[in-house]
Amino acid sequence: MSVFKDETKLDINYVPHRLPHRSNEMRLLMKFFNVLLQTPKKMAQRVIITGDVGTGKTVLSQRLGADITHEANRRGIKFRYVHVNCREYRGSLFLIVHHIVSIFHPNFPRRGYSTEELLRILLQVLDEQKTCVILTLDEFESLVEREGSEAVYKLTRLQEIRLNKPQRISLICILRNLEVVEELDASARSTLQSNIINLKIYSKQQLLDILNDRVLLAFKPLAMLEDTVNLAAQLAFSENGNARFGIELLWRAGKYADVEDLSVVTPECIRKAVSNIYAVMRKSDLASLRLHEKLFLLSIARFFRESEEAYASLTTIEQAYAIVCEEFDIQPHSHTQLWKYLRMFSALGILDTEVSSAGSRGRSTAISLPRIPAYELEKELSFLLQKEEA
Amino acid sequence: MNIEDVFSSRLRMKTLKILMQVGELNVSEIARRLRVNYKITSKHLKVLEDEGMVKHKEFGRIRLYRLNKSSLKTKAVENLIEIWEHANK
Repeated sequence: MSVFKDETKLDINYVPHRLPHRSNEMRLLMKFFNVLLQTPKKMAQRVIITGDVGTGKTVLSQRLGADITHEANRRGIKFRYVHVNCREYRGSLFLIVHHIVSIFHPNFPRRGYSTEELLRILLQVLDEQKTCVILTLDEFESLVEREGSEAVYKLTRLQEIRLNKPQRISLICILRNLEVVEELDASARSTLQSNIINLKIYSKQQLLDILNDRVLLAFKPLAMLEDTVNLAAQLAFSENGNARFGIELLWRAGKYADVEDLSVVTPECIRKAVSNIYAVMRKSDLASLRLHEKLFLLSIARFFRESEEAYASLTTIEQAYAIVCEEFDIQPHSHTQLWKYLRMFSALGILDTEVSSAGSRGRSTAISLPRIPAYELEKELSFLLQKEEA
Repeated sequence: MNIEDVFSSRLRMKTLKILMQVGELNVSEIARRLRVNYKITSKHLKVLEDEGMVKHKEFGRIRLYRLNKSSLKTKAVENLIEIWEHANK
């Protein structure tokens, strides 16, 4: 016997029909993209969605994608919604565009042409298929970090050079905050910054509503105690209003209940779940990091495990990293590269960075690890690195 | 071209089989799967295309080949391959 009715409803990829406390944002998003249904191919749209981890950026755009595709099909308009997580493609515009082309031509070769050629090919494919797409670039920071303004410029100006031709590609860029966009050069920025939807952090009550919605879908009637959901909402709220965290907690708590053969999910199951969960970063995410990213993160984890300080400077962490590299007999990466890693980890929500102008020699960066136990992080990274070495 | 001339080539039959299984491929990938060079592959693809059995689309420098599903010859070969493979299982 299981407490679950349908645990897939708690999966990270599940897109619920109803998005509690995001109906205004959904309406606004739909309004932006309505133009694609009203006057197809005449105009492309660009929207930026910002918000902290677990504020519903991804699910909002995916809900829009499903709804607009349904409506387009009903009206006989050929339409595709493509959701790409830029980080999964290592922030490479080439790989991202190749992925889209592959949707239409699954065996499209990976080599033998440039990004620009591939972009032209994409438009040719869409012209041939008479199809328009909304391309959602999730974790947009990753693309900007790797490719800079150039990629954004290429993507957004792609259609503008095709005079009197159908507008095929609309964009949704998802990112945590607008800092990344502000760093782009003026021309790239101007093509992007038109419609911005900022998702505010959920309140505790809002989280409770979201979790209760999921409980109805995922658990058997009476299998979840009210107090259990309350506790999950409270923990999610303390994790910066992260709804995803709360949903994952419910799923794990359900699993603990199943293992112990309980007929109801108790608060104790939540407590067990929380001690085994990484707030924003799961083991699979850690495993996908590259060697030096792991080593650098390990040095941060070690520093915070051994120190009672809450903040560390990049210089201090660099010293810890040099020791870790020596231990693994590997040449350390440069300061600039480490700085990039730091920004990536910060964008992922693994750690926080704060630039302070205090001190006589310009700005310094304070690094903190507020959400993940340093000990757990170190243990997991050491395990992964040992596996890599073997 | 006579049927025996088209079918006499092992590489042409294998090309048809590959395209039947995979759907669509570029010349280099077909060549890799046939384990022959690009030039030989192109030559056989041209024969099949002249017979209307395959067709291609060009994307810049990339040529993607697929079976010409509207050709009766292709349908006949597809059936033949399917029956043959099934009988050999």
